[in-house]
Amino acid sequence: METNNGNGNSKELALDLLELGKFYYLNERYDEAIKVLSKALKFDPINADIYYNLGIVYETRNSTHEAKDCYLKAIEIDPSLKLAQEHLDKLVGN
Amino acid sequence: MKNFAVIGLGQFGSSVAKALSERGCQVLAVDIDEEKVQSISGFVTHAIQLDASDEKALKNIGIEDIDTAVVSVGGNLEASILITLLLKEIGIREVIAKALTPQHAKVLQKIGVDRVVFPEKEMGLRIAESLVSPNVLEQIKLSSNYEIVEITAPSGFIGKSLKDIAIRTKYKVNVIAIKKKEPNINEAGETEFKEVLNLSPTGEDEISAGDILIITGEVANLEKLRKEK
Repeated sequence: METNNGNGNSKELALDLLELGKFYYLNERYDEAIKVLSKALKFDPINADIYYNLGIVYETRNSTHEAKDCYLKAIEIDPSLKLAQEHLDKLVGN
Repeated sequence: MKNFAVIGLGQFGSSVAKALSERGCQVLAVDIDEEKVQSISGFVTHAIQLDASDEKALKNIGIEDIDTAVVSVGGNLEASILITLLLKEIGIREVIAKALTPQHAKVLQKIGVDRVVFPEKEMGLRIAESLVSPNVLEQIKLSSNYEIVEITAPSGFIGKSLKDIAIRTKYKVNVIAIKKKEPNINEAGETEFKEVLNLSPTGEDEISAGDILIITGEVANLEKLRKEK
């Protein structure tokens, strides 16, 4: 199986996993959400939205270190991601 | 509504002034530095550039009508003492001053300050406390023996109800509120969570991952609870 190559199929698969991750998150199944979103990142490691969503799951579980790392990564990939910046400000203090 | 004067618009003073303003208070912000006055002018009722150690200048701006003055010129010991003294002499009912050292605080006390604050010392204590007990998010002392703490729910509590945990009998503390993060989708379609506060939890309420418990009790009993994993 090809991973990390950023081709069309991988990106699509990552998006599907992102949707599944969101579904798990909205149903408060945080462990599954983390598993699926982490897998999504393997297929598309430069997707800021996946990092943001993973950050949200970690923050909801009070895993603040992991959440912070995800938000930082999301902003690094897409500096215009306002929500990620807002959450990071809240966590780190600004 | 009370009206306030904030003298000295460094990081501390300007935060105080802005926060008071946001809460609907009348705020007179004063600094000797024109630039600092300019930068706060959009946030407060009045922002004036003057040397607050000049009694005449203070009286000219009607400082005697102020209920509470906050003196936050901590970096300049002489100015801080002089301004505090002038404000007390003018008859300001409540003067709060920022101090950098215990000696500075002692002098301020002698000249009649109503409250001394040590922002750096207080922040230092809070940081130390948060490093020792990372699951304690907030702590309010009610008396020397009682406090309210905000802690992340220990993992052993997750999936159990307050009745199952027997928090009252086992730890002799009271859960006064449970803060939950509820996942949702915002208007823009982004995944978010909203914090929901359950202010009158019952024995049936269940603890979920990520919940924050607001608990009151004796310090020693809370200490036991804090050690729970």
